[in-house]
Amino acid sequence: MEKNAATSAIKVVKLTKTFGNRKAVDNVSFAIPQGAFLSIFGPNGAGKTTLLRVLSTLSRATSGSARLLGIDIKQEPDKARDHIGLISHNSMLYPDLTAEENLLFVAELYGIENAKDRVLEMLDSVELKHRRHDVVRTFSRGMTQRLSIARALIHDPAIVFLDEPYSGLDPHAVEIFDGLIEAVRKDRTFIMVSHDLRKGFDMCTHALVLSKGTVVAFDEKNSLDFSDFSQLYAQTVGMGVA
Amino acid sequence: MANLPGATGSTNAVSTTSAQVRPTGFHHYLTLLKKDLTQEFRTKEMLTSMGIYSLLVLIVFGAALAQTASSFDILQMGGGLLWVLIVFTSLLGLNRSFSHEKENGCLEGVLLIPLDRSVIFLAKASSNLLFLLAVEIMVIPLFYFFFLTTTTPAETFWMIVFPLLVGTIGVAGIGTLLSTITINTRGKDVMLAVLFIPLIYPLLYACVSATTAVIVGGEWTMDVYLPALALAGGYDVIMILLSWVLYDFVISA
Repeated sequence: MEKNAATSAIKVVKLTKTFGNRKAVDNVSFAIPQGAFLSIFGPNGAGKTTLLRVLSTLSRATSGSARLLGIDIKQEPDKARDHIGLISHNSMLYPDLTAEENLLFVAELYGIENAKDRVLEMLDSVELKHRRHDVVRTFSRGMTQRLSIARALIHDPAIVFLDEPYSGLDPHAVEIFDGLIEAVRKDRTFIMVSHDLRKGFDMCTHALVLSKGTVVAFDEKNSLDFSDFSQLYAQTVGMGVA
Repeated sequence: MANLPGATGSTNAVSTTSAQVRPTGFHHYLTLLKKDLTQEFRTKEMLTSMGIYSLLVLIVFGAALAQTASSFDILQMGGGLLWVLIVFTSLLGLNRSFSHEKENGCLEGVLLIPLDRSVIFLAKASSNLLFLLAVEIMVIPLFYFFFLTTTTPAETFWMIVFPLLVGTIGVAGIGTLLSTITINTRGKDVMLAVLFIPLIYPLLYACVSATTAVIVGGEWTMDVYLPALALAGGYDVIMILLSWVLYDFVISA
């Protein structure tokens, strides 16, 4: 990966995050180019979500560094935040505000010009324009997740983090979600944390396996097929296919 | 479905397809405050719960003091009773003020946006202050009706407005910081009270003194009232500045 370091969308060097004496993320290093889709795998407690929280600036690293589009997230977190979108199993939507109010709130905080037009455009894109005046509390899980995609992408981020985005979605909602992600994928860089080995592998260009906070495998997908990868996963993590 | 705006993505590290101008801190403040007010006016959750709770506390006070009316001067106790009511009602409201932020990870959503963390504190403290003042506007006439109609408060009674305002500003500011600290703790309701009451004690003491002085009246009223009000105001300034400075650390932790 070092050959891509100059054009890396995300470059992580010896990143460590500790909680008390416990190292949740231990000396993690990797780099991915712009447009890559990195899937992070690992058993519960491997440090996947902690790593994602550090990279998305929600949590501070204990040591090491991470650069998003060349921006050091420790030195210039606000500058990095301009380019980050996060879609997680938590929708980050206020349940007592309408769909439109939720997106308008975020758009105004980002300082998006013509915020109202942008909000309507995003609502139209996720097919929720007809429900824009309804409070989010009345939405199904699938609709909420679609709205959370619109929320995460309203400022057109170059890097999108996905934290267990399929959690609680029914198969139809998963299909819609996949379509939406595919639609915005070109040239954006994605990092997804998932327990679903098959889905994560199908979507990714790069795969990273974490175990007990450390990287036990990291590679581009094109050199692997799924059976090789699931075998590697089972060997490194000591588990079968999720 | 596959027609999302900006679907071509952003290859440029800096520019984005949606035009953005970094808003000022004041714009962020107004946006956050407007969100809190919209949410509260829609659900009326804090106002209703604090209003009903304070009415119930008044009824309990009434029952507790019903048999002792002739044996003590209600004017001397009025300020203290009013502040007991305000402090406990505030605790209820402050505990709820972050519940919406916690639900669905909304607070994390706000933290992902490039904005000064201290502005989040100011906006939340302002909304808490407005809700507390709204409840006080409802409760003080009731308090007067329950306890002060059988006696005659001093002509300076109207001056309780100032200790109430100064005290409520402090309660909202300190309470917002502490409710942020306790949001993720186990037993956060108790934890907030345990931290809140010792920390506001100087403010509470000053506000009770000032309130009692203007309810009772007399020649020495201003000798007690003004220093107490100055103490309360000074305590507000120090604690709110401290909260402002510490908030980035507190909310990030």
